[in-house]
Amino acid sequence: MAVCSSVPISDLLDRASQGSDKLHALSTTISQDLNSHFPPIGRVIMPRPSMCHTSSLQTPSDKQQALQVSESDLLSLARSLLQAWSDPLLMGPAAQTISLLPFSGGNDIGQDRISQLINFNFLLSCFRRDSHKIDSFLKVLRCRATKTQPQMC
Amino acid sequence: MRRDLRGALLLLLTAAVQSSSMSAPGKPVLLSCRSPEKETFTCWWEPGSDGGLPTTHHLYYERERLEGTYECPDYLSAGRNSCFFDKNHTSIWVDYYLTVMASNALGNATSDPFKMDVMEIVKPDAPENVTLQVEEREASPCLNVRWMPPSNTDTKSGWVTIKYELRVNKDNSNNWKEYTSGTQTHFSLYSVSPGGVYTVQVRCLLDHGSWSEWSNTTFVKISNYLQNERPLSMLISILSAILFIMAGLILIAKRKSVKQWVLPPVPGPKIRGITSQLLQSGGSDDVGNALIIKQSFPPIYFVWEDQMEDYLIVTENEDWLSSISQKRKKSLIPACFHFDSEIHSKKLCGFSETCGKRNVKHVDYSRVKEVKGDNVLFLEKEKVQSSGYMDFQRQEGIPEDYSRVKEVESDNLVVLQKQNAADMSCKDEGNHYTDCALHKPRKPVCTELSDSGYVDTIPAPPLM
Repeated sequence: MAVCSSVPISDLLDRASQGSDKLHALSTTISQDLNSHFPPIGRVIMPRPSMCHTSSLQTPSDKQQALQVSESDLLSLARSLLQAWSDPLLMGPAAQTISLLPFSGGNDIGQDRISQLINFNFLLSCFRRDSHKIDSFLKVLRCRATKTQPQMC
Repeated sequence: MRRDLRGALLLLLTAAVQSSSMSAPGKPVLLSCRSPEKETFTCWWEPGSDGGLPTTHHLYYERERLEGTYECPDYLSAGRNSCFFDKNHTSIWVDYYLTVMASNALGNATSDPFKMDVMEIVKPDAPENVTLQVEEREASPCLNVRWMPPSNTDTKSGWVTIKYELRVNKDNSNNWKEYTSGTQTHFSLYSVSPGGVYTVQVRCLLDHGSWSEWSNTTFVKISNYLQNERPLSMLISILSAILFIMAGLILIAKRKSVKQWVLPPVPGPKIRGITSQLLQSGGSDDVGNALIIKQSFPPIYFVWEDQMEDYLIVTENEDWLSSISQKRKKSLIPACFHFDSEIHSKKLCGFSETCGKRNVKHVDYSRVKEVKGDNVLFLEKEKVQSSGYMDFQRQEGIPEDYSRVKEVESDNLVVLQKQNAADMSCKDEGNHYTDCALHKPRKPVCTELSDSGYVDTIPAPPLM
């Protein structure tokens, strides 16, 4: 009978943190690249179509709150965020597919280019935010799990 | 009337105000906001014109998931025209909407709204305490750089992830070389060489935000004397170099004796008295003399024991008796020497009897029977060839006719009677034996081998 040696949680969290770090890096780069095409004023006054589809998730909003959340809760939050973005992130040429995206309005985002651009920009900002959350939560968890290795924090 | 007065006053005031160009403030502009540690943030604005009147500015904000409009909690901590949000008022992953309002006696002016999320404005302070340490290694030195994270960042809870970057330049050039350090707070530079001044700066970022400013410049000079810090090896190398040079000089000075020692000359045959100088410069006379006289070779006398008896002198000349009798005492025949053609032979015959007209033959040393003293060789009897030594000497023309034997002197002298008839002609002419070459007692001749190879006859020296 083969026995799998268990992988310590610290190693798993380290591996996960590295993945979330890359994810957040990518989302930041894409968002910044897209924003560079908008004038700063236009970016500021751009209306938010709605709230991000993951806004219903109650997540900590500062460091103090985040450090008070238990490990299991933090982990489940991270997992929920990831799951929310894995399914609905369909980028298809047809506008119809885009409408599947989590808009509270549930309507078509519109055929015109500006609408598409605005909505896409909004989507990316939500994604960037949520990827940052995931990354932050996992790194807090990793630091907590490796008390003996301060370089992990 | 009062209405007219009020109206007039207002007009006057307006006129007064307008003439001194006082107005409502201009529109302020929100410049930027920044969070150094993902826990607080500060925003700055630029006021517009103040309209000539004292103007105050207020910052108001609204926040996602927060109802209401709020004013800036702290206008002072961050300096003029700024608003500082402390930890209690800072939330991340929510949008803030900020506006600044300028107001004076004459009016207000409101800036454009500024939307921001703390996540987007993270920019840390520069790293602190950058130290450089030169590490002396055998092959080349290396530079150890160490620094501290900015003091206001939290490195204990994992709330922020700090990444570092450093840049180096040599001798204050504008050519910076950049290196990524990751999350380490130390870095080693290996491409450094002695004698250069190296300047190092470090910066950092949090969570894929913006880079901080470069830290203060820290520089170090890597001195050349590092290479001399191994005095022992230097000393040894210098000493050995001196020794080598000295040995080389000695060798060069004594190269002749060294050469002799290494390659000893093969001794060649040395003939006393003959030197290369003599051979080159001297004539054949000198060489011959040197060979004979100076060598102290005694002339070798060859003695043919048996031939002593065969030695026969046939003559008609009675005068010979006395001379030969003297000679008989000796009963020794000095030999002529025949030399190799390399050394030109000279007149070497000191004595006459045995010298023939022709070449003198080599002495065959195989016939040596006995050696007496250092110059007498007894040779065995051998059949003497015609070109060899004459075993007898006869006067020319005298036939081998022993009928006229007049006298026999000792054991090797035969005197013949003079012929009458045949001789008369000779005698008649007096004592000149001109035509009677036959009668003429010829003096013993000795050959002389000249250089030309001709054999000349010369009168022999007087007999001993």
